[in-house]
Amino acid sequence: MISCKNLHVTFNHGLATEKLALRGIDLTIPSGEFVTVIGSNGAGKSTLLNTIAGDIETTHGNIFFDNRDVTNLPATGRTRDIARVFQDPLAGTCGDLTVEENMALAYGRGQRGSLSVALNNKLRKVFQEQLSRLNLGLEDRLNSQMGLLSGGQRQSVSLLMSALQPSSILLLDEHTAALDPKTAALIMDITSQIIKEKSLTVMMVTHSMRQALDHGSRTIMLHKGQIIFDLKGKERSGYEVKDLLNLFALARNDGEELDDDKLLLDT
Amino acid sequence: MSLYAFLGTIEIGFIYGLVAMGVYLTFRILDFPDLTVDGSFTLGAAVTATLIVFGINPFLSTLIGTLAASCAGIVTAWLNLRFNILHLLASILTMTALYTINLRVMGKPNVALIMEPTMLTPFEGLGIPAMYLKVIFVAVCTIIGGLLLAWFLYTQYGLAMRAVGSNKRMAQANGIVVNEKVYVGLALSNGLVGLAGALFAQTNGFADSTMGIGTIVVGLAAVIIGESLFGTRSLLIIVMSCILGSILYRIAVSMALNADFLGFQASDLNLLTAVLVTLSLVFPKLRSEWKAKKAKKEKV
Repeated sequence: MISCKNLHVTFNHGLATEKLALRGIDLTIPSGEFVTVIGSNGAGKSTLLNTIAGDIETTHGNIFFDNRDVTNLPATGRTRDIARVFQDPLAGTCGDLTVEENMALAYGRGQRGSLSVALNNKLRKVFQEQLSRLNLGLEDRLNSQMGLLSGGQRQSVSLLMSALQPSSILLLDEHTAALDPKTAALIMDITSQIIKEKSLTVMMVTHSMRQALDHGSRTIMLHKGQIIFDLKGKERSGYEVKDLLNLFALARNDGEELDDDKLLLDT
Repeated sequence: MSLYAFLGTIEIGFIYGLVAMGVYLTFRILDFPDLTVDGSFTLGAAVTATLIVFGINPFLSTLIGTLAASCAGIVTAWLNLRFNILHLLASILTMTALYTINLRVMGKPNVALIMEPTMLTPFEGLGIPAMYLKVIFVAVCTIIGGLLLAWFLYTQYGLAMRAVGSNKRMAQANGIVVNEKVYVGLALSNGLVGLAGALFAQTNGFADSTMGIGTIVVGLAAVIIGESLFGTRSLLIIVMSCILGSILYRIAVSMALNADFLGFQASDLNLLTAVLVTLSLVFPKLRSEWKAKKAKKEKV
């Protein structure tokens, strides 16, 4: 379970460039719930995810995982609970290391590195098994340098890597945005499989309204650092992309034109 | 070149093999260009030589010299990580401070170790001719050091360190404490360099305040020569090619200095070094350009 209590994040506090990135987020996500997060550019979606992951310090408010206060725990201390996949396919893997070395790193996530040799044949077998799920032929390329793989392949591997260690929370930050439609669909497929298998609590940031409605069981929309609506259950199942947009226009009734519709209307 | 001179060249090559490994660790693994080594090479030599002259066991002295050099690395890492001083600048600051510290440690510009016991003393009675003993001793030290380093890089901890150098954000997302790896890496790197300094002092019979000048360039030259000749297929090959690169570099330099028709003098060493390093840096790039040109000309 993740819960955020009155979460505030301010960048460049006290300067002319001060930015209130999150302004009082109250959010409770019960274990096993899959939440999709939408909102226009600069709404605070990524900030929210990075704050939960511990990359960004909170200015006010608290974060709890299963009633444990983790507000002051650094990012590395939260990796026992959290697995992440980034938007940039290059960010989630090390280009200089081989596929198996990358996977070995993820296999040791949240544990202290010991002085025992990182790779052995038993592990290689586990990695091969996992990679064969992708049907990309990567199971025969354990020894290839990650940097030689395509963006889609790298993103697929980083998705598998996020599931190598048991964790309770999975944070996906537009993890299909940089991929071609076919690869994006494949990645989304495997994502759903993994989430189901491990019954994870998931937050997925996406720019695609379609994706936001098709996946998960709850959708929240952020605007200017606040949650402007929170859809779940029966109410949500009746929603179409169009309704979502109308709701969005209504909620941000602050004189701003919806000129970034195109960004949101990705179907 | 006489046999004696040749053995001397190999010996220095092995000693600087340790330096090359240290430089490889910072430049290539951690992506942290660290010039501290110019100071920590001397520090290792100075501390060890001074302690030996005080009558302390040479093995213990060497250990303390090595640890002192490690501490120099930790200072550089601290300046960089804690205060955000650019890594290159942080290491130059430590290096500059070390020059004074080395003079203070020795109390004078140089310390002679002639007639003092060294790590070699216990092996002198084994019947190995004196001229071979030094080479064998440093070769064994360096190769053991290399094997340990390669093993370390294959461990979970070593893998984590490599990840830190390659992609900090990914490393952090996988629970790796980035700063700790940088501290340990710089301590290890400078420790290797300090050990090289300690060995140098004991095999050559002195420690001198200026002996560390240019250490970084020599180490880098060895790494690059090794990489371009032997490739980067596995970590063990890379580490061993650091040692081989260092020996080859020494042979190249001493051949250039000894070839009468070239007319070089001993004082031309630094220019030669710079030219050699530049060539080994430029060559891989030129080669790939030639290949690309050739491929263009070929008919499809």
